[in-house]
Amino acid sequence: MKEIAIEEEIIGTLEGMLGESVLGSKSPRPRRVYIHVKPAAHKRAISALLQAFPSTIISTITGIDLGETIEINYHFWCGKAEVTIRTNLSKSKPEIETITDIVPGASLYEREVHDLLGVKFANHPNLTRLLLPESWPENSYPLRKDWNPKQTGEIHDSSEKTLTIGETRTESNGGSLVNVIVGPQHPALHEPERFLFKLDGEVVVDVEPRLGYAHRGIEKAAEHLMFFQDVHLVERVCGICNVAHTTCFCQAVEALGEIEIPSRAKYLRTIVHEFNRIHSHLLLLGIAGLEIGFESLFQYLWRDRETVLDLTEKLTGNRVMAEYSTIGGVRRDLTPILGDEIKKKLQKIRDRLSFYKEVFQSDPTIELRTKGIGVLSEEKALKLCVVGPVARGSGVKSDVRKHDPYAAYEDAPFKEILYKDGDSWSRFMVRLEEVGESIEIITWAVDNIPSGPYRIRVPRRMPRGESLSRVEAPRGELIHYVKGNGTAYPERVKIRSPTLANIISFREMIRGCYVADIPAVLASLDPCFSCTDRMVFVDEKNGRRWIWSMNDLKARRRDS
Amino acid sequence: MRRIKMPQMIVEIASAVFKKPFTFQYPFTKPKVPEGLRGRQIFHPERCISCGLCARDCPAEAIEMVEVSGKKMPLIHLDSCIFCYICVENCPRNALTESTFYELASTNKESLALRPEKPESEGEATEGE
Amino acid sequence: MNPNIFFRILVFPGFLFLFVLILFCDWFERKIMARMQNRMGPSYTGPFGILQPLADYIKLLTKEDIIPHHARQFLFSLTPIISFSIFMLSIFCFPLDGINVFSNYGFEGDLLFVLALVTFAHFFLFLSGWSSSNPYSGIGAVRILMQFIGYDIPLIISAIGPAFLAGSLSLAKIASMQTIPFALLTPWTFILFLVALQAELEEDPFDVPHAETEIVAGYGTEFSGRKLAFIRLAKDTQIVFGAVLTATLFLGGPYGPVFSAPPSLWFTIYFVLKVLFVIALLEFVEAICARLRIDHVVRGNWRMITPAALLSVILTVLSAPYIRLFMGAPI
Repeated sequence: MKEIAIEEEIIGTLEGMLGESVLGSKSPRPRRVYIHVKPAAHKRAISALLQAFPSTIISTITGIDLGETIEINYHFWCGKAEVTIRTNLSKSKPEIETITDIVPGASLYEREVHDLLGVKFANHPNLTRLLLPESWPENSYPLRKDWNPKQTGEIHDSSEKTLTIGETRTESNGGSLVNVIVGPQHPALHEPERFLFKLDGEVVVDVEPRLGYAHRGIEKAAEHLMFFQDVHLVERVCGICNVAHTTCFCQAVEALGEIEIPSRAKYLRTIVHEFNRIHSHLLLLGIAGLEIGFESLFQYLWRDRETVLDLTEKLTGNRVMAEYSTIGGVRRDLTPILGDEIKKKLQKIRDRLSFYKEVFQSDPTIELRTKGIGVLSEEKALKLCVVGPVARGSGVKSDVRKHDPYAAYEDAPFKEILYKDGDSWSRFMVRLEEVGESIEIITWAVDNIPSGPYRIRVPRRMPRGESLSRVEAPRGELIHYVKGNGTAYPERVKIRSPTLANIISFREMIRGCYVADIPAVLASLDPCFSCTDRMVFVDEKNGRRWIWSMNDLKARRRDS
Repeated sequence: MRRIKMPQMIVEIASAVFKKPFTFQYPFTKPKVPEGLRGRQIFHPERCISCGLCARDCPAEAIEMVEVSGKKMPLIHLDSCIFCYICVENCPRNALTESTFYELASTNKESLALRPEKPESEGEATEGE
Repeated sequence: MNPNIFFRILVFPGFLFLFVLILFCDWFERKIMARMQNRMGPSYTGPFGILQPLADYIKLLTKEDIIPHHARQFLFSLTPIISFSIFMLSIFCFPLDGINVFSNYGFEGDLLFVLALVTFAHFFLFLSGWSSSNPYSGIGAVRILMQFIGYDIPLIISAIGPAFLAGSLSLAKIASMQTIPFALLTPWTFILFLVALQAELEEDPFDVPHAETEIVAGYGTEFSGRKLAFIRLAKDTQIVFGAVLTATLFLGGPYGPVFSAPPSLWFTIYFVLKVLFVIALLEFVEAICARLRIDHVVRGNWRMITPAALLSVILTVLSAPYIRLFMGAPI
């Protein structure tokens, strides 16, 4: 009863503040509110929301091409519910006022919508391309329904207007700064990305990240596959956090189709989700060790990660890509023998954890390299709307499992880990302790799993409607927004992965640090760029651009 | 410099020299494979009813219906297959079943296909073994 | 002119023997490091993987040798070979099987000669990075110079300790004076020498010049094919040189109890064993430490290591009479 009051309270507050500008509102599910406002009133609505709930953070901005109009949805998490404020723009002249002056964390999302849908955000401080390359032709917007790849024509990969490595540029303040480019190929990065660092000697003054190198076109491709096939497509957004993506997508589609899955399936999804989290955190801590030069720590952590991968393989059939959740439940069951084995092996990992905690806490070289480096204060973290362990390392409470529970998390006993300092060391410790909490959750789930079916069959067609699902991926809050149109194919799938929210904070963290700290700070941010850029497909080779349709790809594959 | 107190790490590393290594030499020592591992599918041609559901439902579009002695049967392109087993689950007559055969590497693209003509025997090797 | 000298320079204990020793030490290093990290290390090529370093060099020789357009071609091609040769030459001066390669006991002061040679070799490594005209190589080259010049001072100061105890600057004399190894008699000097050596050899925790995750491969970034083979060979020779120096100064060189004729066989065996022991120690230190940042390295040197080296020499000088009494050796 309390939950319904929250949503109605939110609707009531906003309608009171905005009066006539509100064109409609609804709350189809607990903790989800949708408000439709007039085109010019979105900024007032957002300010009203921020005034009523000061700890609101922006989740993402979705643009949908509805034929005659383009609908822009602003998704916010206000601490108690997910509020979506939407407005419609005409397709012939899509222009809207920016909100970056009141919500600085929205800058990347507005650039994304501008890049792929062609919406102009007036007064945005830096409205440049985010995901597509600079040489992409002007009036070609891939996410629009009427976009044809063949009409786009050839792209000549002429030099991007960037600086070369080592070029000095004299700034107006009289000093001179050296620009160093890290990426797209660099041993410190595990996925291609380009960072342009401005250095003053050995101290970093500024950084500009350039995303989009791993852009594959998943959101557009998802509109051409049926819902149950999309589960496998969405899983491949990211290899490391794949369970989070499938869980989130399945939950979104189940909410859309108003399907209630059996509770055994919920517990099984929780178990695999937590396995994924343990594996991802151990991976990252090993990479952190490697970045600061501690190879032995890297080898030991990954050796212990093998245990988790073997257990995942026994449960789901694959070591990394679980392919376990599907719409309507999960695909395999957990036998009691496997349950006992899981508990026994996880006990061993728990004993190893105390060893790693001791190493992180007392090793002097780790201390020198990570304590006090890359500090993000709590108020900056709130303003830039960061999520996940980056936020929790700065003391901001942000764990979807606690505040917006899904699957079996409502009853699971675990703590939200918070550290106050906001430096790299705190972020690593948050992740290390979360591994311990995950082990607790899995053990509890295996002991208390209810009996019953683990999967129900669902129809292929999903009704008209929309739904929004949030999960806590290992890197932070992950959002999927799914819109159905009555067929077996989705109308729009929007994915916002946590690294996109966190990448803005890299600039704040790295200012004033030395060049040698860059890999360590980047590792503590845990960037997963495959998750970050997954929109339209671009393939460039030898200065000419190839776009192959699915048939071209199949034909080419078969005759080579 | 500071308190050189890292006894745990030192003890750990020094004792690791005398333990058996965690890695093993793969082609000469095979790992123990769990029974749920997703390997190459097995096709039973006598059960197939040519409905084409496997080809329609494959997310990677890796199944092609080819004509074999008058009947249409699925040809699975293992280089595109993502081993999600939707084809196995959705087949109404269980003509596709699972197996744990995973050593599919090959130097020849032709051999990376599960053809309906050949009668499938358990554990048949692909080219290059 | 002793006709035997060509045999000694080229085959044993000269070039061929040292080449095989360097490859063997490379294998040993990788195997020990792997076992400390609980994995297998090289195990496929040859029994226990012992031919792996040789396979690596042969592979490198077959790869394409690219010279970047902006690099200074003469320096770029020449510096790897020169630094390798200088390191090799400096190992020739050590008493490897009782007497050094030139069939004599060296001359008074060849400790300083060897250390000076090594400075040249490092300078040529710096030049190889500098002539690549790649910013990553440039940064790596500058870091080598910074680290090497800084840590050469405590290294030389610590090396004076055993020289003082033995009363001479000749390598052969210092080695032969050690009835009990100096490592046990003056452990403070030994430990400081090892730390300074670790920094000279650019191993963890002083791995800064080629911190792969920051500046790709440091001074060796632009090299490929044969030149890369020489750069790697120079690096491996540097490590063996460091181990040989430590073994001679602190562990008694090749000298030890002889059980049957010929004595040079036993001396070689002891020598190789001591070198392997030092390498195992250095690898152990590498395994337990993370990499320090460049400002920590530089600051640590001037604030801690150099004063500590001075203090340790003072301590050695003060306790020298008692140690000599203990050794029972005259001056």
